[in-house]
Amino acid sequence: MPKPDFGFSFAPNRALELSVPLLPEVQAVLEAEPSIRACMACGQCAAVCTAGVFTPLAFYRLVLQLWAGEVEVVGQRAQHCMLCGKCQMTCPRGVNIRNALLLMAALLPPKP
Amino acid sequence: MRSSEYINKDEVAIIGGGPAGMQTALVLSARGFSVRIYEQKEQLGGHLKGWHHLFPHGVAASDLLGALKEQVLARAIPLHLGQTVDHLQKVGEGWELWQGETVVGRAGVVVLANGFALFDARRKEEYGYGLYPSVLTSADLEAVFRKERPWPFGPDCAAPQIGFVHCVGSRDLKCGSPHCSKLCCVTAVKQAMAVKAFFPEAQVYCFYMDLRMHGLEYEELYRKAQVDYGVRFIRGRLSEAAPGQGKRLHVKAEDTLQGRPLHLQLDMLVLMSGMVPTFVLEQQERAVFFKEPVFGSGFVPVQGFLAAGSVVQQKGLFASGACKGPATLPEVFADAAAVACEVEQYLKSLKAVAHA
Repeated sequence: MPKPDFGFSFAPNRALELSVPLLPEVQAVLEAEPSIRACMACGQCAAVCTAGVFTPLAFYRLVLQLWAGEVEVVGQRAQHCMLCGKCQMTCPRGVNIRNALLLMAALLPPKP
Repeated sequence: MRSSEYINKDEVAIIGGGPAGMQTALVLSARGFSVRIYEQKEQLGGHLKGWHHLFPHGVAASDLLGALKEQVLARAIPLHLGQTVDHLQKVGEGWELWQGETVVGRAGVVVLANGFALFDARRKEEYGYGLYPSVLTSADLEAVFRKERPWPFGPDCAAPQIGFVHCVGSRDLKCGSPHCSKLCCVTAVKQAMAVKAFFPEAQVYCFYMDLRMHGLEYEELYRKAQVDYGVRFIRGRLSEAAPGQGKRLHVKAEDTLQGRPLHLQLDMLVLMSGMVPTFVLEQQERAVFFKEPVFGSGFVPVQGFLAAGSVVQQKGLFASGACKGPATLPEVFADAAAVACEVEQYLKSLKAVAHA
């Protein structure tokens, strides 16, 4: 059945609900790599990222999205990483970004 | 006209018995000057009395205060506790200290060390301080740590959700306080860690505009709060607090890093009240009045750089510590010693003229 057209549409709620507990898979990533918590979203990782020039990869954004529980987006975007490690060399807070990205990439179910 | 002879030119009156007043008195006394402290409260200590422990190392506030008081007593510095001074009158080169119609003291030099006041958080009506019992100020939370008031949530709440709001009454033109109070950032970090130590299961959020960790080891404390204590820092100012589910508060904010609105239910909301002037100087030719601050009042104006202690347009009147603007304890101690040296130079310059 075609969708009726009332001349308007509903957008999904964009608000973040912080009262909802963290997803277990998010907690697992944070526990496996606690240095992720030290991220202060300065953006230096993204500024040096080669993959970020051509893809939507920006590590600090993935951290924010991880906190927001958007595991699918995080998993997909983490696939773009080439593991060159420039981000980790430049991170002022000493975040182990390569390990974090590997953990994030593993949030997606393996391809059949 | 009274002769100026009846004022002992070498005597220094210090108005305010907080850390700035005590330290200025101690340095001057050690340098051989006769000092007196006038304190409007019945006890020495100022705001330090209300603190539980101090950033960045967690030293007990009572230890520091105790050590200061001990030194003041050891030096037998005369104390005028419970004594308010509301204006100064110039007599010759010196000053008379007045309260209403009475002269309460005389001195060659007066050092203002009246400190600061905390911003009245009720003025930020959207945060509901004074309306909702679970909204506290940072000073109230220190009182909770000191066991002078209870936690705002019940003992059954093992995993409280707690929010801290930075810059309440600071960096806010709408409140008439455009300045940064500079120590609330690190105070919130300290308090967030302390809350986590009381309730390890608590979830603590800090809502900030930007974090100003200017002092030695403050930045380290911030990182420690993130990694070791799991405190979450969210960049964005709270728009409002309203009654939520049960006894909880419902707060709204914008997560500006994600560009998305944010909702949260909290068991306790702590407002980091800024530092505002406790008085304004009304300067006349031969008198200085301490008046109630009004909207937009600034701190005590001094000559030259902020570090200078000489009050603008008044010879023999100095200002020490946080009455000149927000300052941390180490800054206050350094400033108090510097002001004491300026006072000494001033007194010596008077003598040089007298002998010439």
